Amino acid sequence: MMSVTAFRQVTQDRSLFVPAGLFLVLLCAVAFRGQGLFTNNGLAGAILVATPLILTTLAITPIVMAGRGAVDLSVGPLMGFVNVTLITWLVGNGITHPVAIIAWAVGLGAAFQLVQALVIIYVRVAPIIVTLSGFLVLSGVNLMVMSRPGGVAPDWMLSWGAGTSVFSPVLLLLLGAFAIWGVLRGTMFYRNLRMTGADERMAYTSGVQVDVVRIIAHMVGGVFAGLAALSYTALISSGDPTQGSTYTLQAVTALVLGGASLSGGRGGALGSTLGAINMFLISYLLSTFNFGTVSGFVTQMAFGLILVGSLLVNVFVISRRTVA
Amino acid sequence: MISTVLNTEIGATRGASPLRKHKSISIGFCLLACLLILGALLVPGFVSPQNARSILLLAAFLGLASVGQTLCALVGALDLSIPYIIGGANILLPSLMVAGLPAPVAMIVVLLLGILVGACNGALSFRLQGQALIMSLGLGFAAVGAVQIYTSLGSQFGGTVFAPVPGWLRNLSAFNGKFFGLPFPPVIVIWAFIAVALGWIMHNTWFGRSLYAVGGSRTAAGRLGISEFKIWTVIHSVSGAMSALTGMLLLGFSGGGFVGVGDPYLFTTVAAVVIGGTSLLGGAGGYGATVLGVLVLTVLTSLLVGLGLSFPAQQAVVGLLIVPMVAIYARSPHIRNQI
Repeated sequence: MMSVTAFRQVTQDRSLFVPAGLFLVLLCAVAFRGQGLFTNNGLAGAILVATPLILTTLAITPIVMAGRGAVDLSVGPLMGFVNVTLITWLVGNGITHPVAIIAWAVGLGAAFQLVQALVIIYVRVAPIIVTLSGFLVLSGVNLMVMSRPGGVAPDWMLSWGAGTSVFSPVLLLLLGAFAIWGVLRGTMFYRNLRMTGADERMAYTSGVQVDVVRIIAHMVGGVFAGLAALSYTALISSGDPTQGSTYTLQAVTALVLGGASLSGGRGGALGSTLGAINMFLISYLLSTFNFGTVSGFVTQMAFGLILVGSLLVNVFVISRRTVA
Repeated sequence: MISTVLNTEIGATRGASPLRKHKSISIGFCLLACLLILGALLVPGFVSPQNARSILLLAAFLGLASVGQTLCALVGALDLSIPYIIGGANILLPSLMVAGLPAPVAMIVVLLLGILVGACNGALSFRLQGQALIMSLGLGFAAVGAVQIYTSLGSQFGGTVFAPVPGWLRNLSAFNGKFFGLPFPPVIVIWAFIAVALGWIMHNTWFGRSLYAVGGSRTAAGRLGISEFKIWTVIHSVSGAMSALTGMLLLGFSGGGFVGVGDPYLFTTVAAVVIGGTSLLGGAGGYGATVLGVLVLTVLTSLLVGLGLSFPAQQAVVGLLIVPMVAIYARSPHIRNQI
């Protein structure tokens, strides 16, 4: 059922052509290079590694869709912030109950994004500046909360990171996020969100409460960021204050690879997910080659070139659409 | 000394600037004055030739790296390849010199490569517009990866290159460098010269005015016969060139090539542009404003260091101050007033 709707979306929305095509190409290449991914363990590991990126990409999707060039740069450090506070403040003080942990992660993510949304709306500073400020503040605070990677995840979470079964709790997190998105898609909010992103003035004059839409978009993003932090904590089984900037850049890249427009209006969960999975497949594929001592650099260069290439294909598809 | 550099700056930008910029520049000045007074009161030895020299030296690197970011911001783009080109230039230069190229030739080669990467960046990302920053990121990755492959072939130290740095290059940008016998490194003069020249270019040439025209309204600029593509490519090339230059000058400062040297410049250049008052959406601002932003950022950092704050705490404070600083002069009108 789900795959049928996904298929229909791909055939209808041309911005999904490139990510879907790239996904198929990468899948074939991976099948050719190393079948390790298609075993039970390989797939379980892949889900474990890819989920934080998929969820961070989902976290910035509604915020970018709300328009005004609102690329949320703070998402990576926000995920890191939830991660380090979870380990230091909660687990460090003996609070390990799953409900408390999950509520903290989701609540903190949503609360931070609420603050950002309120600043954007009432202080009326460009969103990218507000999120840049959030990025700097949280990057600093993360290192103040935890000066170097360390700590341990709660006991019940340790088994999450084992990566031995496809149907792990991490997959549940992912499915939970998709379920939230699926519910949202059917609501009035989703239509208003797309309208606000495409043309905010028109939306405002048509009676859409653009401020409310923006607040909800940010809070949904915050919830996803909290879920991303949970999956990240499961992946590394500890706290790490240093990965914020990496995840921000990767998430924005995955979003663009998934066919979303950074200027708003265009985008969605399916595209973002495909973009994030493609990012994962590219790095997986590159890791199957062995270039000796320069391996890391070849990976970096190839990654950059693939990025450039798929963006160019994107341009080609989009420009053909405007001609047609 | 700070004021002399600043005065030339402002003299260059005062010309034909809109009201909004005057406001942001006077506020920037007040901010800078407040920070200097605070520093003088709170930190012993804050007002000293040594401290002024180190602030200006660090500001010069950030200022040179921010040239490209400012120009890109003026047409609504962001260049994320800056830190990677800086890092690449920083290791490519010593490894070219080890390979036997004379230093000036090596520097020209690195500069040309920087321009080439910038030009590719501009030409390829033009059609992407809003997504252009990801293109610059991808090209940055590709460029720094290629440079690292080149430098680490035949050596086992990836990411760092050991080579003797020529004395004149070290003098150019080291803390104890001398400018014709005067006790400050010449890189400060280079920065001041570039800033004044750029200020003049922006306000008195066809290119500079076209840049503002494109940033203000693309349609109007197109009607005037301004090639948006040309402007877009040229500013990205300038950005590449300035990043390569910064990378090479940083080699004289640090004394050894290290690819990660550019990393802090990813978001600090954006922060400097924003604090100065250049709109990231294009059309308003200028390099004079960025110079102020760079100085505010550097003086603030120096003040926080003087107060004994750690690096993470400095970052957090700078982040917290960005929104109020920008809010003073760059608030966008309410949506009901935009219709």
